[in-house]
Amino acid sequence: MSSLFGTMSIAVGALQAEQGAIDATTNNVANANTPGYSRLQPVLTENDPVIVGPLTLGTGVSLQKLESLRDPILQLRIQEETQQQGQLDAFVSGMQQIEVNFTGSSGDIGTQISNFFSSLSQLARDPASLPLRQAVLTAAGNLANSFHNTADNLSKQQSNLDLNVTQAVQQIDTLTTQIAKLNGQISTLENANHDASAFIDQRDVLIGQLSNLVDVSAIRSDSGLTLTTSNGTALVAGNLSFGLATQTDSSGVQHIFAQGADITGKITSGSLAGALQVRDQKIPTLLSNLDTLAAGLGNALNTANQAGFDLSGTAAGNLFVPPPISGQGAASSLTVAITDPTLLAASSDGSPGSNGNIATLLAVHDQAVAGGQTPNDYYANLLFSVGSDVSNGSAELSASQLILRQLQDQRGSISCVSLDEEAANMVRFQRAFDAAARVVTTVDQMLQTVINMGT
Amino acid sequence: MSIRVNPNPTPDLLAALAEVQQQVDTATVELSTGSRINKPSDDPAGAAQLAEIHDRGSQNDSFQKSISSITGGFQSADSTLSSVITALERAITLGVQGANGTLSDSDRAVVAQELTGIQTQLIGLANTAYQGQFLFSGTARTQPFVADSAAASGVRYNGNAGVNTVTVGNGYQLQVNLPGSQLFTATGSDMFQSIQDLITSLGNNSGIGTAVAEVRNAFDYVTAQRVFYGNALNQIDSQTAFLNNEKLDLSRQENAVAGADIASVASQLVNNQTARSATLAAIGRMPQDSLFDYLK
Repeated sequence: MSSLFGTMSIAVGALQAEQGAIDATTNNVANANTPGYSRLQPVLTENDPVIVGPLTLGTGVSLQKLESLRDPILQLRIQEETQQQGQLDAFVSGMQQIEVNFTGSSGDIGTQISNFFSSLSQLARDPASLPLRQAVLTAAGNLANSFHNTADNLSKQQSNLDLNVTQAVQQIDTLTTQIAKLNGQISTLENANHDASAFIDQRDVLIGQLSNLVDVSAIRSDSGLTLTTSNGTALVAGNLSFGLATQTDSSGVQHIFAQGADITGKITSGSLAGALQVRDQKIPTLLSNLDTLAAGLGNALNTANQAGFDLSGTAAGNLFVPPPISGQGAASSLTVAITDPTLLAASSDGSPGSNGNIATLLAVHDQAVAGGQTPNDYYANLLFSVGSDVSNGSAELSASQLILRQLQDQRGSISCVSLDEEAANMVRFQRAFDAAARVVTTVDQMLQTVINMGT
Repeated sequence: MSIRVNPNPTPDLLAALAEVQQQVDTATVELSTGSRINKPSDDPAGAAQLAEIHDRGSQNDSFQKSISSITGGFQSADSTLSSVITALERAITLGVQGANGTLSDSDRAVVAQELTGIQTQLIGLANTAYQGQFLFSGTARTQPFVADSAAASGVRYNGNAGVNTVTVGNGYQLQVNLPGSQLFTATGSDMFQSIQDLITSLGNNSGIGTAVAEVRNAFDYVTAQRVFYGNALNQIDSQTAFLNNEKLDLSRQENAVAGADIASVASQLVNNQTARSATLAAIGRMPQDSLFDYLK
């Protein structure tokens, strides 16, 4: 047989449970726009029944916990895809800045090579003309300048990326410190069997930001969360964080060190990897290709110029200052060796009216001067490689963005707050609360009746 | 229970907006430049091809410029040789007259005097310059023919035997001059010597027939040499036609590689703009209210 006081306590329990549920709703509504927030769901359970004789009587409801709705596997996929996207984003934006130098039109190296040969071919009709000779020297100067500008721009971008690397490392350090601190708070709460979902949400946001910068693997264990880079360098272990450091190497670029070891080449994704890929692979390759082209073209034109005679009938010298034998730095140092237009070797027999050597100079246009290719073919190949890096990178980037958006959508469908849902829940919980309160009043009246029975 | 949808579609809508905005930008650039390759990444292989096409175009331009700059020289040389031939014809006529036995010494002296005039005229013609350059001096820049009493023919060649060529096509070199030593003073066909010999024979009244034959020989020789310039002008004509065709072909290729299909880009642009407005409208009409607004 149940007692009126028993009924009263069921109603009071219900009041408490519904109030807790309304708390969850309130918190959800408050955090509707908080990034990374996972909505709370009250977990209501039926209390164990009591058996009185033939009757099994319910004992009401209790609020077990407020559960945070999140999918850790999905969170992991989002982190992975964020790393991928960070890398592609940094790579594409780096390559796009490089691409500007290879426009295939006005003023780039290819155009200047064509212009130089055109000016030479104009000299053929009047090989002794000083204005035409000067035009050839000017075109040669423009050609040298286009090499300088491109090489300088690439080097400048390399140092900008260097700065990016340093900044990224600083950001990583800040983030790992914060994550380690949250790790400590989370394990303290969890060890005391408390809900740490607020801190877990914050940590997920920070890990998301970290993933954008560098490749992170998360390992969950009893002692908390361990974060490492994909090659195993520890970033965070429990409530400890391990900072990365940058150090300039002999060639002046920043290398990344973790606990004394150089991990520069071992970072495989995140925007740091994208920046490093452009800085350490793409730009050096392009610079060395430009050097090969500048050295090949300079040497071939020098040989051709030396084969002829200048306007005064003397055997001619170099047209360009000879590029370094190794070719290294040839693009940034290419310089026209002569300022006196009469020193250009148009003549093949020493007489001033001869233009026989111009054909020799013009032949360089179709000579294999760099990597077995003519100057223009070689340049066109550079154009192709830069262009395809950008276009492939962009295609991968949009694919990655699409995947990430879909993953975020999935996360949203699980964890995001829907105001309609919260409103409906609020009404539901409020009604239940009202009803429980009504039960309390009714039981109170019943008690009054019982008390007044004797009088 | 139905599938729960993401209650926050804003990031998706913004991404869609950014994407459609990018397409609008791309289409606008393509329309304004008329080219679908505006940076290498638009079509890497096409951009490389385009660079080659531009280089060949620039070469084609310089070949055409070279041709137009040497044409004048060829024409001038050709008409100069025509005058030389006329002068030599006159010399032959005079020689035949002078060979007539009825002529007195003084008559022959008059003929000889006219021949001296012709000799001077020939020197002048052989020294013809075009735009400041002597046409028949070889590759020397000096005046090629000077009167010199020490020389047997009375004329000395100051030029050299060099020839110039100008590139007028890929691997196509056209010789642009004949040295005066080959044209006018070749051994056995020296026109100055033949005129000089005719003047001497008229003065001596002996061997006039032989001297006239010598002039005729020089006449035949120069006439034969003149063919060079006629040929060169013909070659230039056909090469110009070839280069014009090539130019046309190059611009056709450029158009095939990079030309934007204006009609389709324009309709794309319209579509993209419509899509953009639709996306904006969708964002604008995102539910402003929630169930909260209906609770009383």
